[in-house]
Parts: sequence; C-alpha cells; structure tokens
Amino acid sequence: MIKGKCWVASDYVMAYDIIIQQFWTSPIDPLLNSEWVMAGVEESFNKENGFKNEGYTFIIAAHNFAGGGKSIEHVIAGLMGAGIKAVFADSFARLQFRNAINYGLPFVTCTDIAQGCETGDEIEYDPDSGLIKNISKGTTFQSVPAAPFVAEVGKAGGLMNYVRDKISNGEAIG
Amino acid sequence: MTITEKIMAKQSGREKVAPGELVWVDVHTVMTMDYLGKTCFDKFNSLGKTEVFDKDRVICVSDHLVPPPNQKFATMLNEWRAVVKKHDITHFYDLGRQGIAHQIMVEQGHVLPGTISIGTDSHANTYGAAGAVGNAVGVTDAAVAMATGKAWFRVPESVRFNIVGEWQPYIMAKDLSLHIMGMMHWNGHLIYKTLEFTGPAISSLSMAGRMTLCNMTVDLGAKNGIIAPDHITADYLDGVAKGDWDMIQSDEEAKYVAEYTINVSDLGPTVALPDKLDDTVPVENVIGTKFNKAFVGTCTNGRLEDLAIMADIMKDKQIHRDVNMIVVPASQTVYLDALRAGYLETLILAGAAIDTPSCAACAGIHTGVAGDGDIVLSAGNRNMKGRMGSKNAQIYLTSPAVVAASAIRGEITDPRTFN
Ligand code: SF4
Repeated sequence: MIKGKCWVASDYVMAYDIIIQQFWTSPIDPLLNSEWVMAGVEESFNKENGFKNEGYTFIIAAHNFAGGGKSIEHVIAGLMGAGIKAVFADSFARLQFRNAINYGLPFVTCTDIAQGCETGDEIEYDPDSGLIKNISKGTTFQSVPAAPFVAEVGKAGGLMNYVRDKISNGEAIG
Repeated sequence: MTITEKIMAKQSGREKVAPGELVWVDVHTVMTMDYLGKTCFDKFNSLGKTEVFDKDRVICVSDHLVPPPNQKFATMLNEWRAVVKKHDITHFYDLGRQGIAHQIMVEQGHVLPGTISIGTDSHANTYGAAGAVGNAVGVTDAAVAMATGKAWFRVPESVRFNIVGEWQPYIMAKDLSLHIMGMMHWNGHLIYKTLEFTGPAISSLSMAGRMTLCNMTVDLGAKNGIIAPDHITADYLDGVAKGDWDMIQSDEEAKYVAEYTINVSDLGPTVALPDKLDDTVPVENVIGTKFNKAFVGTCTNGRLEDLAIMADIMKDKQIHRDVNMIVVPASQTVYLDALRAGYLETLILAGAAIDTPSCAACAGIHTGVAGDGDIVLSAGNRNMKGRMGSKNAQIYLTSPAVVAASAIRGEITDPRTFN
C-alpha cells in the first residue's frame, strides 16, 4: 500500500516538458534529473526543485502522459527522484510507458480518474489489487492491474536488476 | 497473423502470437548513437558483461553531436569514441563516415525483412520501410539487448492503411504522413499499435518514401510502422544487406483492429501549422505565409529523392533574399550521391547552404538552430515550441517540394503551380 498526495496534470503532458531540452544530454540520475523535472510543464515548477519540493507521491493525468516521442529515460528517473511512486492516467505514450516498466515505476492505466481528483488530495494505492482510493474525496477507482511480467520486473526493482540476476544465475531470458 | 505478428512469432521461436501477449524476441541489430551511447555501454557493463552479444550487430553512429559545436559535445564525443573502441564494435559510423542513425541502419543493410531491430532514438520506426519491425527503445532496453541479443515486447494490435490511387507530380510521402497525422490526431487510436501500409500506392513508392512514412509513425504515437517487403525492398538491399532475410507478408485473413483507405490521387501538398503536429492543412490554406528560414534534412526528409525534387524545382532560380536555407543530406552516402548527380551544385547556385550530414538543427541542439522571431519552413518531423531552439520561433512542417518552391518565392507556395 502506498499513500501520499497527488498532483493533477492536464492532458498532453509532454516528455520534453517533463525534462526540458537543456538537460537531454545530462547523465541519467534520479537526484540530478529531479532538480528540474516538470520545468516545462508549469511555470511554478520552472525553478530548482520546483516540482520536487511540493512533495507529491502520485501524478494523475489524462491522455497521452509523457508523449511527444522522446525516448530519454531522464523522464522516469526525474519523476522517481522527485518522490513519485505511481502515475495514473487515461493513456501513456508508449516509449515512456516502456521506460517506466523498465524502471519499476508503476504507470497505471485508469480511465476517468483525472476528473475525480484535485491536486493535493490524499491518495492510497494498492499495487496488488490495482485499487486507488481518494481519501480526501471518499472515492475509489479500479485501475488495470499490472501484467505478471511487469509485476515481476517491478519486484526486482527494474529490468536491469531482473536481467542482471538472470545473467548471474546463468538463467535464460524469455 | 499480420506481418508484425509473424515477425514477432518467428523471432520469439513460437508458432503464433496474439496481440497483448508479452514475448522476448531475438533482435537482429541494436543501434545506439553519440549522445546516449556511452550511457548504454555503461549500463551494459553494469549487467556484469564485457562483450556484446555480437560485435557485428551492435551499430554505433555519431549523428546528434557531430561535428561538435561546443566543448561539452566534443568531450562527450571523445568519451563515446573511447567506449565504442573498447568494445571493438565492427560498424562505427563516426564523423567522416557518418549519417543520421536511422538512414545508416537502412542504407547500410543493418535492417532486414522479417527481423527486429531496435534503436535508442524515437525514429527507429523508420526500419519498417525494409519490412522489419523497427522499434524505438530507451538505453535500458538497448543495454539488455547488447548483453543478451533479446528485447521484450507486447505484441501490438495492427491497424491497416490501404493506400490507393496514383501519386501526382510534386506530391510526396511526407504529404501522406502529414495528412494521416491530421486525420488521426493525437486521439489515442494509434497508441501502442502497429501501422501497416499496403496498397497500390505503396507498391509504387520508393524506399525513400517508405522510410519517410514509417519514420513518422512514432509521431502518431504508434509502436511501429511497417511495409511488407517486395521487389523494391529486395533491389535496394541487394549488395548492401548484412545478413539473410525473410520476405514475411501478412496472411490474407490477418486481423486488424481498424482499416483506413486513402486515395493519393486526391492528395495535395500538406503543411503542419506551428506547435502542433496534428494541426495539418492543405497548402492552399497557408499560401503566401512569409518565413525567413528554410530547412531540409533529418531522418524524415534528407534523402537523395528529396534533394532531387528540390533541385528540379530550384534549377536556375534564386532563393528569395529574405530566406536563409540550410540543406543537410541524411548521410555521407546521400551527400556524395547528390554531389555526383549535380543536385547540390544546383542548390548551391540557388543560394542554399549545405551542411555536413547530422541531425543538424532538428532537435535544436546543433547547427542552424532557430532564434527568437524565426519562422521556419522545415521538411523535418517535429514542430513543437522550442524544438529547433527558441520557444519564440514558429515551425511549419511540410515536404521538400513545398520548401523548395517556397524558398524561391519567400512565402509558402504550391509547387504544382510554381512555374
Ligand atoms: S534527425 Fe531529428 S528526429 Fe531524426 S534522429 Fe536526428 S534529432 Fe531525431
């Protein structure tokens, strides 16, 4: 069970606004990438640790979260470094959806959740059942539970750990 | 099964697969490039590996940062070169032999029909032009594939675009791409899907056009775009292919979640308005719009056929005095071919600046970036605010033919009625 407050984004939060251009060539590092994460999404986040200092645990978005076709993993590292434990949205851009799975950050598909929540609401999320509770509003949403492979990668702490373990145990992949 | 399903079945050693299934597949090649490549190798090493799964099938390219415009990039390139050398990679396309990675992958025969190739850049979807599954991934996936020769995939649902009719003069695959972009919008219908292009107007399309079309499927949110291999594919690969291939085709009874038919006989030059890629209009709606920068290049439109049509339009003419034009061939091979064919001479005489093959200003981090107040008419693939540099610049996207005719007039012009 994960608990914390949420930030409600609007439609079309783009990957290149989550990590702005000048940081695309930076090393991938949660601490570093989180300093300016979301700088291009809202003016109030466009300062050092602007988003991170808000102390959000969840992001609730609508359509095509992290879209725009950037493949950079700084996006996911930055969100994780800022303390985000899960993102709920109607739909995700596939590149960052894939990266999120590989990093073990739950990108959870849940339609209509965006309409039912406000920034600052207390949320409780049960990754096993996929149940999302908005404690502040007293509402509940059922999200799509993670596929077994995705859950396994998540438990291992990401694809790197998952594959590293397989390699060191001499196990085949797939 | 569709072509994508059949390729995924074959490469995962199964009889069949169905959309939604998760499979680990064998990848034929893994591409990484200068600005992410070092991270890729570092991650690969952290898996406890020192030797890549196949030195001939990890393809390294310098494209985003070359030639280095500043010290930071020069240092990054030096680190990149050191790591490629250390891993004894066979195919390293560094400055002097460079090109945009996606162009190199197809042009040099590293992508083959019936196989799967991945790359650490979003436009790896381009590889579908060769009848392969081409997919963009992050550095984690690339590192895993470099170590194991494998990648995981969720088998996508297939959407079919049946392209009929006959291509009209000055109408290019880019117009079709932008038309589809406007037709489908960012409405989510195509997210995670594979887009299969079929029909008579695809059979008659050159490899260059097929690459443009598959290239921009990533910008539609799709997983990949693919065109079944035929004699055009085989002729192109003949002599350059590095490995065997398999001319896999979709079954007659293959299932598609959606099908669309587009007649290219009715298609006109198409333009995406600044900031939003899916905000596209027929050229008629924007004729006369002034701009001050023209840009043709990128993994979408920096190929020989693109330069040929521009040379045809710009021959013996002069670029308008208020327009600065940069043309960047997609690779050294394209550069040399265009030079030998006389296209570059024509463009230079018209007043265009030719830059050495690279991503150039496409991502706003390199030569020819946009400044405040610039209005750019570009044959690239992305036009969001700040993409080519300043957030206070505007980018219109269109075909090389439209850019060429418009550069002469100094305002957006229909190439069909230009002369
Ligand atoms: S040309 Fe542009 S879109 Fe293509 S790989 Fe380079 S930066 Fe990306």
